[in-house]
Amino acid sequence: MSVEIRIDPILCRGHAICALFFSDGVDLDQWGFGKVAVAVVDAPRDIRRARRAAAACPNGAFIVRERSQDLANAPARPHPESSQPVA
Amino acid sequence: MTVLPSTRTNYPRRTPPRLDSLWADPVVAPIERVGAHVGGLGDPGTLLLSGPAPSPGGEGLVSHLSRWGTVPGIDGAGVRALLRASALDGRGGGGFPLIRKVETALLGGGLPMLIVNASESEPSSRKDRVLCAHRPHLMLDGAALLATALGVDEVVIHLHRASGSPASILEAAISDRRHRGLADPRWRISTGPDRYVSGEASAVAGFVDGGQARPRFTTLPLAVEGPSGRPTVVSNAETVAHLAAIARVGPDAWGSLGASSSPGSRLVTLTGAVPQPGTVLELAGQATIGDALAYQGLTDPPAAVLIGGFAGTWVLGEEAWQTPFTRAALQCLGAQPGCGLIAVLPHGACALTETARIVRYLAGESAGQCGTCVAGLPRLADSCEAIARGSFRRRGIRKMTALADAVLGSGACGHPDAVVRLIRSTLDVFEDDVVRHLAGKPCRASDHPPVLAVPRADHAIGRGDTREWE
Repeated sequence: MSVEIRIDPILCRGHAICALFFSDGVDLDQWGFGKVAVAVVDAPRDIRRARRAAAACPNGAFIVRERSQDLANAPARPHPESSQPVA
Repeated sequence: MTVLPSTRTNYPRRTPPRLDSLWADPVVAPIERVGAHVGGLGDPGTLLLSGPAPSPGGEGLVSHLSRWGTVPGIDGAGVRALLRASALDGRGGGGFPLIRKVETALLGGGLPMLIVNASESEPSSRKDRVLCAHRPHLMLDGAALLATALGVDEVVIHLHRASGSPASILEAAISDRRHRGLADPRWRISTGPDRYVSGEASAVAGFVDGGQARPRFTTLPLAVEGPSGRPTVVSNAETVAHLAAIARVGPDAWGSLGASSSPGSRLVTLTGAVPQPGTVLELAGQATIGDALAYQGLTDPPAAVLIGGFAGTWVLGEEAWQTPFTRAALQCLGAQPGCGLIAVLPHGACALTETARIVRYLAGESAGQCGTCVAGLPRLADSCEAIARGSFRRRGIRKMTALADAVLGSGACGHPDAVVRLIRSTLDVFEDDVVRHLAGKPCRASDHPPVLAVPRADHAIGRGDTREWE
């Protein structure tokens, strides 16, 4: 299993708490705003850390998403000719 | 940026340029001149701007239908086949293939939403305004076809509120079409705030949904899920006008108007040191940047051109002159067509001063949402001004590039990235000038007045009245 992590830059207020829990996965800039260093995490220990960081973020800016929900892993596209627009 | 050499200077330290001259607004660009096509290969009758001379209300429906005929009756699958065969790319700046947005929007559940973005936030760009004001029916035909491709019966046309907006022309054109009984979707004209980032796709989609015209943080593309929860396709006005032409002349004939790697013609706006800033031209075939400038009476390459908008890429004039304005050719210079802006820097003007003015303006146009953008862009603007004034130390360049690296990719939208791209291109292309400025040598252009029509940067970042985004 792997998860995808994102930081919503609009919600992020630079508390930098995510970096306490998951320092390898987050790059902090000089103001403490986080940028995600590794977007996809698959080591179980890192997934645990990412989830803790998400739970600790006071603004809910740290997002962890199961990759299986991701578009990239969605079932193959039907052929465009066969997809009818919704009326 | 290579490491800057230490320079022993025998020159007197240059006097810093007067700040008032640095920030004085240059002549405001005159608006809306339609130029002829340049360097066309195909039939000039099928270019977007071919046809009658500019008139106040734009080309009427009768004249439009007599030149182009009615829109052929094509079903959704047929329009999608045209999009696929023509490989029509977006003309708003991103250059994303339209067919991929359409197909993605149809994959998801729910009724898609179609927004034609004619807001044209780039301050010096005029192409979408000229297109909507002079060829309103071509744009509306294309929007109706795109609605068919998506199976939707309503189209939102988004404009800025600024004066000179073609809203009234489009409304008159829509009313003519209704009287004529054309099989159109329902039209809705939306007018939003005149801010730079308000024309960004997620800001437009959010505003049309009833929110503020500020960019959104999205984990999924708009075509999968927009702010309303519906798949949302936001397409530039020029892009949909091309679709109207494709449906009439066919993808092959339309494609042959462009270069093989970059099908179709392309609208560009000329600004900066040209006789008539704000002129919109349609470039076809292998028309080069030199051809476009020659149309304005320039006979020799200028010092440099800024390609693709304020947040674009500088290219030396000599290199740009022979380069066709196509995606592939521009890529060789590290540039992109962007919104089609060609800003001309004359010999004797200081590119570092122009860049400093643009970066200060762009810093003030941040939506004030993302911390690094709010904190970082004014600092980058300070650094650019210090370089322009000649009061920057060499050590500062390293700090500045580190700051630029931190700012890159930090925002919900591409605004900070665009500023970084402009700064990197400036340091790269004008390295000699940067070295001279840092060494305190006289700038070769210290007394040249500002050239580019950069709006005054009077917005306080993040402190703006929130109502100004509504």
